[in-house]
Amino acid sequence: MSTFSYNEKALEHLRIEDPSLLDSLVDFETAREAHLKKEHAKIDKRMSLTDAIATYVSDGDVMTDAGFAYVRTPHQAYWEIMRQAKKNLQCIAAPNTNHSFLIFNNNCDYSHNSYVGVEMRGIDRNYDRMLRAGRVKILSEWSHGGVALGLKAAQLGAPGVFSKQMLGSDMLKYNPYLKVMQNPMRDDPDPVVFIPALYPDVTIIHCHAADKYGNAYIYGPTVNDVATAAAARKLIITAEEIVPESSIRGRQGTIIPFFYVDAVVELPFGAVPGNMPGCYYWSRQWWEKLIRFGCVSDENLKVFFDEWVFGVKDQFEFVDKLGGAKWIAESRIQTKAAEGDHEDIDFSYEEFTRTHDSGLYY
Amino acid sequence: MRDLSAPANPLEMLAYVLSKQIHDHKIVYIGTGIPMVAAILAKKTHAPNITMVYESGGQDPLPSDMPWSVGCPFTWRKTPVVMEMAYSFAQCCNGFVDIAFLGFAQVDMYGNVNTHQIGTDLLHPTVRMTGSGGNNDLASLTEELVLVGVQTPDKFVKNVDFITSVGHLTGGNSRREAGLVGKGPIAVISQCGEFDFEPETKRMRVKSLLPEWTFDITQQFTGFELLKPEGEIPQTPVIPDEILNLLRTEVDPRGVFTTMPTA
Repeated sequence: MSTFSYNEKALEHLRIEDPSLLDSLVDFETAREAHLKKEHAKIDKRMSLTDAIATYVSDGDVMTDAGFAYVRTPHQAYWEIMRQAKKNLQCIAAPNTNHSFLIFNNNCDYSHNSYVGVEMRGIDRNYDRMLRAGRVKILSEWSHGGVALGLKAAQLGAPGVFSKQMLGSDMLKYNPYLKVMQNPMRDDPDPVVFIPALYPDVTIIHCHAADKYGNAYIYGPTVNDVATAAAARKLIITAEEIVPESSIRGRQGTIIPFFYVDAVVELPFGAVPGNMPGCYYWSRQWWEKLIRFGCVSDENLKVFFDEWVFGVKDQFEFVDKLGGAKWIAESRIQTKAAEGDHEDIDFSYEEFTRTHDSGLYY
Repeated sequence: MRDLSAPANPLEMLAYVLSKQIHDHKIVYIGTGIPMVAAILAKKTHAPNITMVYESGGQDPLPSDMPWSVGCPFTWRKTPVVMEMAYSFAQCCNGFVDIAFLGFAQVDMYGNVNTHQIGTDLLHPTVRMTGSGGNNDLASLTEELVLVGVQTPDKFVKNVDFITSVGHLTGGNSRREAGLVGKGPIAVISQCGEFDFEPETKRMRVKSLLPEWTFDITQQFTGFELLKPEGEIPQTPVIPDEILNLLRTEVDPRGVFTTMPTA
């Protein structure tokens, strides 16, 4: 078992009494061991979402988010985590805010932060409330680029990278993993930050297509996902469709290789209510309703999730609630138009406000 | 629909003044909000050949509707490459990006930015906000930075509650001594006008002011002592009618970022 030397000041500032909570994320030895013990044979790994979450997401795991905010993010799999009442997760909020809702639902107790909020739709008042109520404990503060480099170092097989990010900022006071050092290659003063390689316990990545072995194809922004796939001890792929291996072999673009993958789940609409490039647009009204109604109070958020997460059996029922076939058609046109693969359309819509709910989600 | 005959509101003025910071043929790193409006406005007016890059990985997207997120399809519309996020930020460090724009919840006299929280205890803030996202990465790495936001004494503060992104740190040469890359903030744009940083002390200084703003009134909107330039303070150029019309009809037709919030 490796032992670690954390930034003592940061431990103090964060009031972390048991630093062993931090170990798994930077423990190369156990990550390598997990990768060695993975099924290396090329076998059929298909299973249901229920089984994949039950088998591969364990209480206490460090889980990193995937996709980008509300783009190709595995929301439906996160909601299965909520339904299965997983406990004590540590979540890495880069680049998303989605774990805020796992905190509310008592699935996640610890947070590695880099961005919280829904950009122009507003700040995440639920996270703010959870933090102030002591329902989540921050274990580290990062920039997006800092987390991206930690995951990239893991993918590169390097113990870490030296970076110029975050120097001089207060994040250094609240991140036990970061150390400021002198650049060993220079004689003149040149401070750098050592960012260790990061190895999440589990990652769920939603892809456009996968074969039954786990070779998984992504179209559009990949953000950190290829690095995360290589770093994580356990990897669940959810895919819009399962295709023959020959179809994957013929594709150009980003592929996650099958031997990183533990479970393959066919999950059409696995990224709703977010945006899936080439497939469906995000539901703007849904997110506005979440931020402007749901996140306002514990009571509202409970009502919201009872309706949208616990009140639906699966993603198909969710799509029915968004408007069914009409939603599918409209949101496909919207994303294709946004990407330049459809005639330009008018993106006007009826915004959800506290005083106006059109009931439409496209 | 937007009222096309109304005089420019402060956000529209802000977007215009910011757009003038963008020079043609430059590589511009874009975040959400007013910076997007300003960059798209610049591209449609005085700087048609700028290249916009985004942290989601899109590099040089085709023009389209207003992006609602830095991950939105509009940020990578038919881009020749969509690169991983680590590489996208690395371009700033490696000298490929000329300028970036940052918003703030608080800024101090040295251009240090807080987007983390109100209150000084991270574990028990008065209000928790977004945290860094890409804000720190751009501030740490990009050659030139322009900060943009609404000016009040609560936002232009003596000490920020949390340094999310370093500007000129404690002034003088301290940014470079901390190991950071690039010039740091070169300008701050608010509804009052434009500010720059005095070259020796790196303290914020009035550069020009919009009509109806005087130094004294601007000082009242500032929580620290502003530096005054020598001589008469120039007037910040105001948005011409035809550009205001373009902003309202083509750049942000639904007023996503440039209509004033209602109470």
